[in-house]
Amino acid sequence: MDIISQLQEQLNEMSMLAVNTFGTLQRDAPPDRLSTSYPDPLNPNPNPKPEEDAKPQVQGQPGAAPAQAPGAPPQAQAQPPALDLAEQPKAMSHALVLAAKKFDALVAALPLSSEEDQLKRIEGLQAENEVVGLELQKQLEAAELELKQVEVLFNEATDNCINLKKPD
Amino acid sequence: MAASAYPPPPQYYRLYKDYEQDPSSAPEPPPPPPIDAKYTTFNVQRKINELLPSLESHNVRQLYPDGPNIDFKKELRTLNRELQLHILELADILVERPSQYARRVEDISMIFSNLHHLLNSLRPHQARATLIHMLESQIQRRKQAIEDIKQRREEAQKLLGESLLILDGSQTN
Repeated sequence: MDIISQLQEQLNEMSMLAVNTFGTLQRDAPPDRLSTSYPDPLNPNPNPKPEEDAKPQVQGQPGAAPAQAPGAPPQAQAQPPALDLAEQPKAMSHALVLAAKKFDALVAALPLSSEEDQLKRIEGLQAENEVVGLELQKQLEAAELELKQVEVLFNEATDNCINLKKPD
Repeated sequence: MAASAYPPPPQYYRLYKDYEQDPSSAPEPPPPPPIDAKYTTFNVQRKINELLPSLESHNVRQLYPDGPNIDFKKELRTLNRELQLHILELADILVERPSQYARRVEDISMIFSNLHHLLNSLRPHQARATLIHMLESQIQRRKQAIEDIKQRREEAQKLLGESLLILDGSQTN
């Protein structure tokens, strides 16, 4: 793809990354803690003793889980979202910075020259094209002339061959 | 439709009325008129020399300095940095004062418009560069053809010379 289209694609890519970053962060953000007296949504069971009220609200699993270690499942559920919350912004901002660097690299690779230089080069090339075209035409005409001469000679030679060959 | 679907062919046959008697009496057919006005494609009228509309026509402020010679690389890099800064600002605003996102988002879209406009104004330069490349490759092909023809002619001359020697040799025998 030509470099200007690549630059345009890179711009679109950057805008898509920015929009996805903000959208994902807003979508996956955990609820904000309004006051210290409310339970922390990220860590509902900080105490080792199980809280009877918190269990059915947090887990919603019938039967099996509350009978086993109650502290482990909520923490297991909280851990993967917490990891994502820390890793995702890093990964996405990394991607944004990489895209910006790629844009800069493409800009550096632009082969720019001024308009007058280009027009001069075009004029020079047109003149050269004319000269080369005339030369080509001359060569073509000479070659066609020689071809005609060779054909005439060939016809003469074959006629002579036919006339000189005695039928058996 | 303004034009008819089946226009008649051009009437150059009238120039050759006396061609049988006098081949040199027919003048050169007149060149076609230069296309000046607008043309219609798919029921849409367009101009021949369509220039890139300026940013003001889209109600977008122009951020890069305009002049006869714009340093495209520098302006593109500057605008890229501005874009990154504005994205960071937007993130900050969303954390601290989320209700004021609108102005920042507008700024970011204005920067993108400017960037795209700069890239579009590079297209005529690309067209000239393509023309240069085409002329160069055409000159290269023609030179190659000249070399080929010269080589074949020389080979043909050599063959003719050899056959002449053979014929002379067989004649004298």
